[in-house]
Amino acid sequence: MYWGGNPAECHPRHFTKYTLMQKSKFLPRGRKDRTMALVDIRATKSAKAADIFLQVRPGKDFEMITILRAMVKGESIPESQIAETGLSLETLEDLVARMKAAKFGAIFFGMGLSMTRGKHMNSAALLTLAAEMNAFTKFVAMPMRGHGNVTGADVIMRWQTGYPFGISFNRGYPRYNPGEFSTVDVLVRGDCDAAFIIGADPGATMPQPAIDHLAAIPTICLDPHVTHTSKLAKVHITTAPAGIAAPGTGYRMDEIPLPLKPALNSPYPSDEEVVRRINQAIAKMPDWMPEGEPPMVLSQV
Amino acid sequence: MTDQPTSSPRQFLLNPTRSAQQGVHINIGKFGPEYEKIVTTMEIHPDDMAELGVVDGDWIVVSTDVGSAEFCCKSGKVPVGMLVVPYGPPTCKLMSGDTGGTGMPLSKGWDVTAEKIEKPAQSPNED
Repeated sequence: MYWGGNPAECHPRHFTKYTLMQKSKFLPRGRKDRTMALVDIRATKSAKAADIFLQVRPGKDFEMITILRAMVKGESIPESQIAETGLSLETLEDLVARMKAAKFGAIFFGMGLSMTRGKHMNSAALLTLAAEMNAFTKFVAMPMRGHGNVTGADVIMRWQTGYPFGISFNRGYPRYNPGEFSTVDVLVRGDCDAAFIIGADPGATMPQPAIDHLAAIPTICLDPHVTHTSKLAKVHITTAPAGIAAPGTGYRMDEIPLPLKPALNSPYPSDEEVVRRINQAIAKMPDWMPEGEPPMVLSQV
Repeated sequence: MTDQPTSSPRQFLLNPTRSAQQGVHINIGKFGPEYEKIVTTMEIHPDDMAELGVVDGDWIVVSTDVGSAEFCCKSGKVPVGMLVVPYGPPTCKLMSGDTGGTGMPLSKGWDVTAEKIEKPAQSPNED
């Protein structure tokens, strides 16, 4: 079951390698043994691959998930509330029956759920639905991440600091508070007076006020390519692309680390080497903490 | 600076999206006419296009509370009242920086107005 995601465009190997086509011990006929449902506000390319396409009304994902949670538990829902989602009682009853009849259900949710109105509340509701489905059958849920190694960044920050993102080290230890320490908020408020961007292009993806602030402060960018961010940065250090000309570790969306072996040589240093050399240079500088405490670095956490 | 509108504005729901080609250009590079075309081509329902008085290839200006950007129209299989365009520098101009305390700005489902404009002098969407 995909919800608010379009793997046919964004994760083109997902169907063939993981969810639909693979033949296995318990599903020897591959696609024929599986049912795919897609929930989205429009019929994307992924709808062609789906057995059931449920077109939810924009901004009504949370309502639909809540109705499904109630129906799973056998509660009756007024048809007027179901109609708000743009779907019918029969459609949702059929979906719930199929979910309960499944031997192993998996829900993959994308930006259409997590970055639209409701945001993390939508994701939390869907994770709760998946958890509650385990009273009937095995069910899991997993986010469909964006480009590149986003999962890897979250995993590393989690085991280094205990938090996945939105972390401040300005007291010498990690503190977590999305909305306060998260990148967009810090930039839009103009809190930071320098920025260090590694392997990301906020200049082409973030809100304009955040981009304007990046352009106004000393921004340092590490990227193999010339990007919108590298163009606004005061310093752009070209690095070797990981997995192609530099070794490293990429994390699959299910948090499995995969070693990357470079196929080509590059005249440019890897991101890791540049960061290490910057760290070495910083370590030679005098401490800035008032009490003379050395600033905490990630490896000491 | 936006060109002067040539129609009255209409309300839409804008859903920026990812596309395979947009992802490919992360590696190819984002400064060629191809990328420019991808991130400025907006899919609209044919009925909405008729109401706006535009045909494929015409340009519209889309505005939110925080900014405006110009897009080239293309009829597509999207619901009536919805606009769809891949994320890129033009959508950055429309995105609010308010994350509502979540750390993540609202990236989809923006209330916008759209109206027809004359074709920009330098259009990346010329074939």
